[in-house]
Amino acid sequence: MNILEKKKVPEFMAALAADYDLYGPIVHPDSKDVLFDRAADPGDIALQAPIPYNPAKIPFFPQRESILGYTYDRSTGDVRIAPADLVRPKALVGIRSCDLTGLLCLDRFFLGQEFVDDVFRDHRRKTFIVANTCVRPFPQCFCVCTDSGPSAREGFDINLTEAGDVYLVEAGSEKGEALVRKLELPAADEAQTALKDKIVDGSIALFDEVSRENKAWISRATNRLTTGFIRNEVWEYIGKQCFECGACAFTCPSCSCFNIEDLNGPDGTTDRCRTWDSCSFEGYTKMAGDHNPRRPVEDRRNKRFFCKLSYSQSRKYLRPGCVGCGRCVRVCPGDIGLPTVVTAIRREITE
Amino acid sequence: MTYKPGVCNFCGTGCGHNLRVENGSITGVFASPGHPVGKGRLCVRGWHIHELLGTKERILHPLVRRNGHFEKVPLSEALDLVADRLGGFAGSEAAFWASPRASNEDIYSLVKLARSVLGSNNISLLSDDGHREAVDVLGGSCGIPAMPGSLADIAKADFLLVAGADITRQNPIVGSDLHLAALQGADLVTIGARRTQIAELSRTHIQNKPGTIALVLAAMAKTLIEDGRAAREFADNRNSGFEAFAESLRGLNMPDIERLTGLSSDDIRGVALRLAGAKRAMAFFSSGISGLDRDTIAVLHNLFLLSGHAGREGCGINPITGICNIVGGYDMGAVHDLWPGYAPVGDAAAAERLKTVWEKAPTTTAGFEVNALLADPEKKLKALVVMDHDEDTGRFAERIRSLDFVVYTGAYANPFLESAHVVLPAASYVETDGTFTNTERRIQLSRAKAEAPPDALPAWRIFSEIAARRKQDWGFRSPENVMREIAKVVPAYSGVTYAKLEKDFGIQWQGAGAGTPAFAPISGAFQVPETSEEYPFLLLTGEANHFWHRNTIMRRTQIPMREYNALLLLYPNGFVEIAEEDAKRLGLRERTPVSLTSAEGALTSFTRISKALKPGAAYVPYFLHETIARLLPSAWGSSSRGEDAAVPIRIEKV
Repeated sequence: MNILEKKKVPEFMAALAADYDLYGPIVHPDSKDVLFDRAADPGDIALQAPIPYNPAKIPFFPQRESILGYTYDRSTGDVRIAPADLVRPKALVGIRSCDLTGLLCLDRFFLGQEFVDDVFRDHRRKTFIVANTCVRPFPQCFCVCTDSGPSAREGFDINLTEAGDVYLVEAGSEKGEALVRKLELPAADEAQTALKDKIVDGSIALFDEVSRENKAWISRATNRLTTGFIRNEVWEYIGKQCFECGACAFTCPSCSCFNIEDLNGPDGTTDRCRTWDSCSFEGYTKMAGDHNPRRPVEDRRNKRFFCKLSYSQSRKYLRPGCVGCGRCVRVCPGDIGLPTVVTAIRREITE
Repeated sequence: MTYKPGVCNFCGTGCGHNLRVENGSITGVFASPGHPVGKGRLCVRGWHIHELLGTKERILHPLVRRNGHFEKVPLSEALDLVADRLGGFAGSEAAFWASPRASNEDIYSLVKLARSVLGSNNISLLSDDGHREAVDVLGGSCGIPAMPGSLADIAKADFLLVAGADITRQNPIVGSDLHLAALQGADLVTIGARRTQIAELSRTHIQNKPGTIALVLAAMAKTLIEDGRAAREFADNRNSGFEAFAESLRGLNMPDIERLTGLSSDDIRGVALRLAGAKRAMAFFSSGISGLDRDTIAVLHNLFLLSGHAGREGCGINPITGICNIVGGYDMGAVHDLWPGYAPVGDAAAAERLKTVWEKAPTTTAGFEVNALLADPEKKLKALVVMDHDEDTGRFAERIRSLDFVVYTGAYANPFLESAHVVLPAASYVETDGTFTNTERRIQLSRAKAEAPPDALPAWRIFSEIAARRKQDWGFRSPENVMREIAKVVPAYSGVTYAKLEKDFGIQWQGAGAGTPAFAPISGAFQVPETSEEYPFLLLTGEANHFWHRNTIMRRTQIPMREYNALLLLYPNGFVEIAEEDAKRLGLRERTPVSLTSAEGALTSFTRISKALKPGAAYVPYFLHETIARLLPSAWGSSSRGEDAAVPIRIEKV
């Protein structure tokens, strides 16, 4: 473990900015909204800002992304594919452990299966990740229920933990170690090293008092979801509150559903575009011949919760898909964010 | 930061969002948690606005039709031509169609062009049907010609009524506010012939027979009067109009009401008493395209006044606008008989004010609604100026094609182009500054976030360029200049500046108020559509989630369009929903081809069996415009009874 003095943070940012586009939590000066976004100036990144409203998956899996361009000549039948190297190296600075855990789920979806997604792989290869321990939780957080925080255990190049005037620095990769060496960050002493666990324990201890918006007793819900012991009325209760806006998927750090469409421009070029999609949409599962395995909205809703919490799905992610960030609660017009659903499932158990 | 804060411009809710702008293109959107309306929520349309704003299907060049074909011309040439041709018509021969999706600055400039430069009061907002009814009822009886309350009041109300509106589809975030309030314990009641999502989420759904909402509300009012539950202060006040209202209810009797509405009088009474017992009560109905008719709005207002829930904080009846700037469009005076600020055309004080600011007296010749001009072949209409539209030419396509001169100005192609003689490309709403006034009268500033194509000017500039060519220099150099003038002309906007709007997410304009609210006059006819042996079904129309109005803009998105296509994959002719019992009785299954016949027309469609309907009712979604236009030609447009309209039809297997 090493030490980064707070006054040296700009130097740390500058070192990263030399090689990467910087992304991190930024507070908009007018609206005060905190969003995880590209920083025009490294000084815009606010490591102490509250958890961003949007998920940190956006730099890897944007809402809309050109993944290929081509021109097709109707008369000759010629197709010319425009070589696209659109992915720029980027550093995510100040990603919270929930978001980082979500990113690891995306890795297992896009890279860990039979088909490897080239575009996503390109993004991931050119990435430097600086995680930031949540030394105190936020009102919507429940990462302690989903084993994804408050401090990251894997997936980072550097992990920062705020401790008074300094950040405790852990390198999680060779790239991270190289940066520590380059900046000549001093090694932490024994007391400082021991501090990390104390800080994390202190943060966990604050959940009862600070994180009052959500509770999610995940393991019991996982059991019920996996064994299918949830009455249909519970799903109907949840489903009828779904406004089918897709926000839960869009704001979820681990949701990976997408759609691909070729957009033909007026100039004869075609843009192959990947966009976010959501399992709450009827058209998402619709098949030829009007067959839809998930027609009613409650059926589509429970698909989402199976995806986040069932054992069969967790085997693919090597953990539950829910990472405890609490965002889906705040964006949901219908009050069926994941913790609310877990509560509904638990209520059924206790009845 | 690549995210820029702004305001969604689909429906009238006016949620805040952050648009992602990269290299001059709009590439994403994220809800704004700090915004007081959306509070971090968006609906399916709002979550996909970047798909529309990122489209390459823009109008890029000025076009002039020569020998039946469009030719690209330099912008100045097109503007010269438009100014020259428009100058050749008398004011009464020209009409102006403003867009409720345009900014206040753009609409105001068109209003000024029509009324000050070209001497015409023939100006309307397309898609304003219905909102006018709410403007008149509320303006006349409350002094505020728009929604009197605030969306923030929903969370504080203990009784909430939704009359007719499928609000979780039309204005989903308002629907969300209602749902969240109900979860906190508010008494949510819905009235309507369809069991909509908000009905599912309510404590009580009054599922009346189609076309009888006014009668249900009247029955509630009658119950309260007869039970002595009417607020005394109105009953005792001779000027309030109470007596006239009570008189018009006297002829109603409960057995008839039960028969006509299909409801029990006990149920109606129960809800009326819950309303009367509430501390803070609010009602919601949709305005714009598919609102309630005037009588129904008046009865609703009277019911709330009677029960002591009008003209008080956190109470009242609230028209919810379907398009982002319908309220602003009315405020700006894009109405044939209202000048900016709701002054009747010809009003002396307003004429004086306009003359001072415009340096030219406005024309006082009576104008006509553009719809009415187009519908009446006797009217001498020769020229039409249309600004950016979400609609198509609809039932007037033929008349519009026959006009001498049609100008279309907009950002996106539209069916109007087929009839246009000149097309002027306009900047989209994210390419210029502008203000939009949402359903709760919140004037919100939307800043430019991207560059407009080189030939596309903001609409306010297009109209002031035309004015300059007719020898009127308005001195507009920026949208902020236009707002400065609006603040002088529209009393409710007095003192509004961009600097003030930028702070704190806009300003809710306040009406002059009229002291004690009064009862609105009603016709007392309570006509309800009745079925017959020949036409045993009552057909309803309504909206849906991913499709918006006639979909001319939603077609440019990807995910909402996919949803639209998925729905219509097997219904190329659209569909009609009927209750399961009716389907069984008629031997119809899902997707059975059927013919629908009304007294005015017929068409073939396919069935969908729906749990949302009671036997005897049928439903066709509004976005299937062609379907409806063919079946109900006369009920379509300004004369329609909107959401509560119900047309007797016959359904037969083919």
